[in-house]
Amino acid sequence: MYNEAEVIGSVIAGILESCPHVVCVNDGSSDLSADAILDAGAYLVNHPINMGQGAALQTGIEFARLLPGVTRFVTFDADGQHRVEDAVRMLRVLETTDVDIVLGSRFLGEAIGASRFKRVLLKAAVRFSNLTSGVRLTDAHNGLRVFNRHVADTLRITAPDMTHASEIIELIARNKYRFVEVAVTIDYSDYSVAKGQPAVNAVNIAVDTLLRKVSR
Amino acid sequence: MILIQIILIAAFAVIFLVALRSRSAHSVNAWKKIAFAGLMVLVVIAVLAPDLVSIVAQAIGVGRGTDLVLYVVSVTFGFYVVNQYLRAQESRHQLHQLARRIAILEAQERYGMERLTVRSSVGTTVAPDAQVAQPTEILPPHA
Repeated sequence: MYNEAEVIGSVIAGILESCPHVVCVNDGSSDLSADAILDAGAYLVNHPINMGQGAALQTGIEFARLLPGVTRFVTFDADGQHRVEDAVRMLRVLETTDVDIVLGSRFLGEAIGASRFKRVLLKAAVRFSNLTSGVRLTDAHNGLRVFNRHVADTLRITAPDMTHASEIIELIARNKYRFVEVAVTIDYSDYSVAKGQPAVNAVNIAVDTLLRKVSR
Repeated sequence: MILIQIILIAAFAVIFLVALRSRSAHSVNAWKKIAFAGLMVLVVIAVLAPDLVSIVAQAIGVGRGTDLVLYVVSVTFGFYVVNQYLRAQESRHQLHQLARRIAILEAQERYGMERLTVRSSVGTTVAPDAQVAQPTEILPPHA
């Protein structure tokens, strides 16, 4: 997370009701995020510099797999747009089926407060992702994911920025993870919309994805 | 020799010497050095005998020598830009690996975890799994 001091405490408290450990990566925030994480009772991992969400996810996963007894992993955005009950439901899917990774999809569920433009853009992103990765999904850029130890040990996100979502899907295809999508609700609060990425970033993500294709 | 020729040759000589004297010169691939030296020789020949460039240009179907030089410079610049971009990506990747390692080591120390069990991002286990810290040694931050 980067500069989420306002909301991080309540987000962590919500997750701790259902999960024994919360690892929060402070991605070089300039506000009091680190204190808020410590107060809330999550493991704090401090990036010395701001490196982007993809890099933070990789750090969080690498730290979490060092904690003893951890077998299941959840990635959860720090801005409060996800719902803990969705994560719990996804954990149950992971336990009761033989998939490696469960992905949240807002198009199987509902996207509360999303603008019409945002919906159209995200649908286009999904079509682009299905085309370039060969993995058929209904939502390519959802931060809520649940996966097992095998995925945590083998996932290597190299895209430091927002492109990591596309990269994870490519890794699902390449590493042959068994996956399933589960409907989740995204709360587009004024806060998360203001903190989220601008829609024009879609151009960056598309270009980076194509660059990864040709550079491989 | 006309003035512009002196200025150009002097400038290229300075570039050549700076490149040779730089501390990182020894780590550059030998073929790149040979190619660079060859390029310098070609440049000096082109400066001293512009007619020669025109002859070469006409031989390969380019109208004027200056056009040929422009094309060569454009292509070279393109390679340069791509090369620099890839290098920047690579060093950013290395920086991120380093920063991640620092972040995880610092966090492990804060929570009293066994330090030797960091798995590097390239997938090698630094120490045997047998050394994973026991649950009792770790104080969960919310305990």
